[in-house]
Amino acid sequence: MDIVLRAAFAFAFIFFLTRIVGRRELGSLEPFDLILLIVLGDLVQQGVTQSDYSVTGLVLAAGTIALMQVAVSYLNFRSKRVRTVLDGEPIVLIEDGRVLTRNVHRERLTRHELEQQARLSQIDSLDKVRWAVLETSGQISFIPKQ
Amino acid sequence: MADQPDGIVLARHRDLKGRGWHPWVRRALVGVVALVALLALVGFVGQSASTTRAEAPAASLAVNAPDGVRGGLLYQARFTIVAHQELKHATLVLNEKWIDGLTVNTIEPSPVNEASRDGNLALELGHLAAGARYVLYLDYQVNPTTVGSRTLRAELEDGEQPVASITRSLRIWP
Repeated sequence: MDIVLRAAFAFAFIFFLTRIVGRRELGSLEPFDLILLIVLGDLVQQGVTQSDYSVTGLVLAAGTIALMQVAVSYLNFRSKRVRTVLDGEPIVLIEDGRVLTRNVHRERLTRHELEQQARLSQIDSLDKVRWAVLETSGQISFIPKQ
Repeated sequence: MADQPDGIVLARHRDLKGRGWHPWVRRALVGVVALVALLALVGFVGQSASTTRAEAPAASLAVNAPDGVRGGLLYQARFTIVAHQELKHATLVLNEKWIDGLTVNTIEPSPVNEASRDGNLALELGHLAAGARYVLYLDYQVNPTTVGSRTLRAELEDGEQPVASITRSLRIWP
């Protein structure tokens, strides 16, 4: 029983962590972030399965995490309020080429990062951006001016 | 003014109306995580050791062990007995909470004999001359499913005569 509880707690805690660290940290996977992700996975595994090497343990832990993911997904689908809490909301970063400094700072972003992300979207200047929106996934979507 | 993309509400997503408090919630929650880490640094969740002593005319008994441990951790309890008088049949009696839900990896030095006494573990240490110092090490690992607080009692006896006893607590974090 405890492995199910541990897996459920691990899922909830990781979900909680991803909500509080901020979206930008999650939206861009630099090499360091990737390594950190692997280390985190290892730490979580130890806390969940501990010294249980059984296939039953694997089924219980993986099954619990999958079920919780389905539950979260269903709640997201059913309730806008829950979706807002669990996923957050998008934030407009650029409007008509004008960087909205307050919103950018709120997400701990710099103009340099915005320019970098714009270049990745084949946009060479922020002046050419009609809208830039930091999505709930942590990625920035750019809509160029016509 | 350009028309906003579908799904974007300017008041909410650009002007952040009604969202001013969101960063403070995030900061508070980050603070909670930091607080837990801080508590761990000061030893709140294990496993810094403390010493409990009992003095008696015949002998003193001291136990050095962690007050808090976590599932799966290895740790040690050290029992130090100093005989002020001769103890012909020194016996250390540990209540079941010293054993239950824990894996005893080793007891060094091995006692002369081990027995169950009303469910407690009696470790016969043998003869201790006056002035002798006897140190017993118990090396443990916490079983991953064991959690909660428990009261540990250790009693030093000579034969079946109580000499000194200590009581301490152990908190096992999941």
